[in-house]
Amino acid sequence: MRKLFALLSLLVIASMALAACGGGAAPATEAPVVPAEPQATEAPAEPTAEPYHGTLRINMGSFPDIVDPQKSSFVGEIAVLKLVYEGLTRLDKDLNTIPAAAESWEYNDDATVLTFTLREGLTYSDGSLLNAARFEYSFHRNSDPATAGEYASIADDILGAAEFRSCAENCDAVRDAFYENTKASHADGAACTGYDDEACNTFTVKLKQAGPYFHTVASLWVGYPAKQELIEAGGENWWLDAANHIGNGPFVMTTLEQGTQVAFVPNETYWAGVATYDIDYAYIVDGAVAFEAYKNDEFDIVGLGAEDLGTVQNDPTLSAEANIYPGSCTFAMMFHQQKAPFTDVKVREAFAMAIDRDAWVSDVLKGLGSSTLTWIPKGFPGYQDGETRLAFDAAAAVQSLTDGGYTVVDGQLIGADGKAIEIVDTFSDTPRNRTRNEWLVAKWKEVLGIDVKLNPVESTTYTALTKDINTAPQMFILGWCADYPDPQNWLSVYWKTGAFGERIGYSNPELDALMTQADAELDSAKRADLYAQAQDMLVAGSPVAFMWNNVNSYLVKPWVKGATQTPMDSGWIGDNDPLSITLEAH
Amino acid sequence: MATYLIRRLLWLIPILFVVALITFIMMHAAPGGPWDRDLNARQVDATTQNTLNEYYGLDKPLWRQFTAYVFGDVNKENKFVCGLVCGNLGPSYRVRGRTVQDILFEPPKEKSFLYSRFGYSMRLGGLALSMAILIGIPAGMIAALKQNTWIDYVSLFITSIGISIPSFVMAIFLIIIFASMLHLVNVVPKDWDDGKAWILPAAVLGFGTMAFTARLTRASMLEVLRQDYVRTARAKGLHERVVIFRHMLRNALIPVVTILGPALAALVTGSFIIETMFGFPGMGRAYVTAIGQRDYSMILGTTLLFVFLVSLANLTVDMLYVVIDPRIRINE
Repeated sequence: MRKLFALLSLLVIASMALAACGGGAAPATEAPVVPAEPQATEAPAEPTAEPYHGTLRINMGSFPDIVDPQKSSFVGEIAVLKLVYEGLTRLDKDLNTIPAAAESWEYNDDATVLTFTLREGLTYSDGSLLNAARFEYSFHRNSDPATAGEYASIADDILGAAEFRSCAENCDAVRDAFYENTKASHADGAACTGYDDEACNTFTVKLKQAGPYFHTVASLWVGYPAKQELIEAGGENWWLDAANHIGNGPFVMTTLEQGTQVAFVPNETYWAGVATYDIDYAYIVDGAVAFEAYKNDEFDIVGLGAEDLGTVQNDPTLSAEANIYPGSCTFAMMFHQQKAPFTDVKVREAFAMAIDRDAWVSDVLKGLGSSTLTWIPKGFPGYQDGETRLAFDAAAAVQSLTDGGYTVVDGQLIGADGKAIEIVDTFSDTPRNRTRNEWLVAKWKEVLGIDVKLNPVESTTYTALTKDINTAPQMFILGWCADYPDPQNWLSVYWKTGAFGERIGYSNPELDALMTQADAELDSAKRADLYAQAQDMLVAGSPVAFMWNNVNSYLVKPWVKGATQTPMDSGWIGDNDPLSITLEAH
Repeated sequence: MATYLIRRLLWLIPILFVVALITFIMMHAAPGGPWDRDLNARQVDATTQNTLNEYYGLDKPLWRQFTAYVFGDVNKENKFVCGLVCGNLGPSYRVRGRTVQDILFEPPKEKSFLYSRFGYSMRLGGLALSMAILIGIPAGMIAALKQNTWIDYVSLFITSIGISIPSFVMAIFLIIIFASMLHLVNVVPKDWDDGKAWILPAAVLGFGTMAFTARLTRASMLEVLRQDYVRTARAKGLHERVVIFRHMLRNALIPVVTILGPALAALVTGSFIIETMFGFPGMGRAYVTAIGQRDYSMILGTTLLFVFLVSLANLTVDMLYVVIDPRIRINE
């Protein structure tokens, strides 16, 4: 009996102790580390008509793995960096490249040397000087093999960058050669003396070939000027401490709490002006919960997913708060050019023409997307309106098979040699992808009479398989999202022999030549024309079935005013130009 | 008793080793690696992949990676880095610069251990388990004693719900009622130092275990109810309370205690669903996402921690048997 009582009381005490740990207030000995209170609660110093200063609360989904300009590569990571730092250039809402930390830039006559001139009087948020040597450090660090940044290859157009990056040992010579090609200096070319050299306002980059698009690459986060002394003092984990994120962007980070929150206040020293609100990033992964929180006024901006679209459209208030606009990705049904039957353009065309893209967008994507028959999406430089080739045409699709000498018997595709060819559609196994691919398979059955087998695989397995030409499946859906808005990024970076298109065995020497010519062309009209020709040639060869462009979709509370819609918004509506946003009292 | 305890604890070593080996083989058998990224964006290029592989020793043969993980190996700078045997769970490949033990056990600056991921999960798991015990056992007991009355049926109904409804449904259901409709709590907890924030996550996490505990208690109470010694106790004229607590409950608790051990381990190692839905900063999400991300050391580290806790919980349960059931003795 005593033992039993002992046991029971032990259980009770243990559970009470655990409950006490869990709930209740924090132990008094622990000073709560809370972010600066929203300034709205502070009484304004002067009783003048101060504008409302609130906090913009945004749900960001997954918490960043790493918040380091030269190592980050995910949208959610970039959305943090973008507030705290600013590159030499940035994008406006129409995706033009405009001055940011650099006031101007200039190419030499053959576009192999790019010179940036920094704004006068640039400072970091702590008031310290920001000179060109800081950008020099960022570009050096980005291409350093010791950094091994996951996005570092984006700057490989700099002369010597790829060599330095791939160097394993005895790297001094390649490093020095690369450093010669990324140099900060005074306007007259004199060497800079350090981070306190006020006259150090010029940054020069030498490219390995003509690259009249590189000033746009300079807008990317890999060139953001995080401070060398803070990075070195903090070691590999420097980015975990909000205090180490002294930047030059429109906001200052006040809190970085692992897994739960990143908070910002306006940067009072930002050259373009001072924002009138704070920002709170929350990290709720589940879309249904985030949607509830939005309806409960706990968030001002949340992503709008397909599963909540119906609810939103049937609700007059919510539907007025929905913002749906073009994104930066194109998705296509990829055909492996070296695996039968897709070695034959007639089969590729038949499968492409059998897909009703408009029905796909309305039935499968529920309107969250727009159909396309070309590669560069609407809103991006290089977009070509009016492409009609390989549009949905059931009769033409069947005819294309017949023209190629194929027949269909009992759901099987029979080649000209009389042999049956099995066709398998591989996809990353999620409920969403299952619905999508089942829809496609049904369409092919309906139009072409062919039974296409479904092959679901685990998502990382899918990534691994589709990365390599030898393991890439016969057919699979894949997309490309722009790194930066230039046709070069869509065409040369993807479709040149040996680039990303290699995974499906795509290689077209004629197209390579055309793209290389376009990349180096200095006259912007001619350049645009060459890229247009290249895209035309790409579509004509029908290597893949272009299917749809994504959309950005957000719910935004009515008191958030002035959020700009940019295809390259990374994480939330308006993050490309946060200064244009104001909050109204609510 | 002491020798038994020591023997059982020593057995942990081969168990952990074998689990590590099996997990290691399985995760490396799955295609893909830690540098495989979202397909629709720029992939990590081959050069960077090689550099990273070399840096983390992923370019070495598998057997050497395994021995490096368990025992240690010399790194690139020719310095010996001790492995699992020294409590080093290895670097995370996804959160670069942090080790697995940092991610799981290190609290944020100026906070106590309770604020680490494991600390958070432990507190939530403990809360959920106490809820399961404090509600589940009495509920099962009363249901058995009042068998086939409305009390029994209500308890049966509630526990059936608890067992059959998946926790993500339960979570959104409770959120809609208590946050969206009644406004008693926030949908998204702002501050985990506020006790109110813990109620819903703990309730969702503990509900299944609570229901299972209640049903198990009820079933074994019913079995005990018809035993001869209970009739004897009643015939002796013992007070009903003594019959219930000393003669019935104590015997009925044995199967319940058996499941509570592993349940505790499962609860404190975190829950993917709870963390995803409530934004709870525990370790469950780290565990599950690591698998998809092929964050090898994270997968191994969390698996071993789980096995370690299950083993400890089972050992505790075995010790508790001795306390509860006088028929059980430890053979030295």
